[in-house]
Amino acid sequence: MEEECWEASSSSETEEAWFAADDDEEFHSGPKLQFRVGSSKARWVTELGMAEVEVKRGKLWTTTGIVRTGKTYCFIEEALYLSEIGELQILSDDDAVIPLKGLYEMVAEEKSGCCWESYEVYRYLKGLGYILGRHRVPWTSKGAEIMTPSGEEEDSVTKLLGDMLLSDARAVFDVYLPNSRFKKSSPGEPSFVACLSGDSPPSKDDVRALQSRIAAPLRFCHISQGRVSFFSFSSIDLPVLP
Amino acid sequence: MAPRWKWKGAEAKALAEPISKSVSELQLSLAKTESTGSLSSCNVLLAVEPEQAELLDRCCFGRLVLSAEKVKKWIQLSFEEAFYLLYILKCIKLSRQGRFLESEVEIWMYMRTKRPNFPVFFKAYSHLRSKNWVLRSGLQYGVDFVAYRHHPSLVHSEYSVLVQSGDSDRLRVWSDVHCAVRLSGSVAKTLLALHVSGNSNREDLNLPTCLGNYRVEEQTISRWSPELSREDDETTSPKPKVTNVSNLKTP
Repeated sequence: MEEECWEASSSSETEEAWFAADDDEEFHSGPKLQFRVGSSKARWVTELGMAEVEVKRGKLWTTTGIVRTGKTYCFIEEALYLSEIGELQILSDDDAVIPLKGLYEMVAEEKSGCCWESYEVYRYLKGLGYILGRHRVPWTSKGAEIMTPSGEEEDSVTKLLGDMLLSDARAVFDVYLPNSRFKKSSPGEPSFVACLSGDSPPSKDDVRALQSRIAAPLRFCHISQGRVSFFSFSSIDLPVLP
Repeated sequence: MAPRWKWKGAEAKALAEPISKSVSELQLSLAKTESTGSLSSCNVLLAVEPEQAELLDRCCFGRLVLSAEKVKKWIQLSFEEAFYLLYILKCIKLSRQGRFLESEVEIWMYMRTKRPNFPVFFKAYSHLRSKNWVLRSGLQYGVDFVAYRHHPSLVHSEYSVLVQSGDSDRLRVWSDVHCAVRLSGSVAKTLLALHVSGNSNREDLNLPTCLGNYRVEEQTISRWSPELSREDDETTSPKPKVTNVSNLKTP
């Protein structure tokens, strides 16, 4: 896969410089969730609420994680999903691998901008090949012009987490159709934005409020018993007939 | 969803005989004979000439009451249909228990008493009717109305309509949404919610003029299946079915 160098500001911004075009996956005959030695590794950074990727294996990183100053970070839902399918090990500060149990607990705690419902949506769509990013989180630094007074990139990432859990009806993920040529530097417009509306279907006003600031179609997710359903609530105007 | 015409030539026939034209004819005919319907607690019975019965059928107002009588035909109208003919088209009058009803307000109040949600339902009904959509009872489909683009003999209905107002408890829980959408889909219709708002001042509801204060917003509710939609983006190359992330490696 070719990737242009799109970042002028920093020499190591190019996503592709990081990954080894390493074809050591033996998935052809093995079981789907085979845990592989030498899978990717990332370290959880509590202050950020994200994991910093240290070892990348595979092309999955072209559609997972955000890039800031040459480093790749992933959110809890990304980390958990990749861990579940055996592609990633998450390490804590003392190099211990955080087990799935620990990651599930982190999602349940809802301190990293993702609740269980969001995770179900993420997992379901990723499993079908869709590409998901947190809504309004730019994939690369080029898109993230947020600068704090101290100029620290970490703060901009942390700030984004605060926006996540606001009103009942909220946009959660930008969803892109499966695309082998997806580029974080120019992802294009999402196919739709996945939204949650809490316990009940969104009110007409909730839908209108969200749609007024989001250009892409909205789909509201209902998660129940591990099943995810998607509904569109679209304003229309039936034509006057002859 | 494109309209599904029932037979070849149906669309042409519909174009040749627009609903608005049939409604005008009906309006003229009923007004000319000063047709008067009899108001009961749940409907209106209207006696009409056979030709008028035909016109009513052509515009889908009411249901024919089968009877042995040959000279007149009896049509049963819902409150919405009757009030539309009375108040909007102004082509019928109503009586009750033999007494002719002069006042539209009195009729409105009566209908409201019998059905508290009548104002909202009537607003929704007249909103679509005035756009020349044909509306019939949606009971068979678990909804309030079904909307046709033309006569049901020519076209399948496209929308199953649910009336929603501020204080209604329709579609308030997810299972209701699942249910309504599934039902609609199984009969090849799109679920259409008509949100009727305005008129929070209860007193105004005593007058049919309150209808002017209502606003109707249309909203379709549909379900999306992620399994079926992965290849409909023209900017991406067709993808094989992807079941796990590792497949992204294949060029």
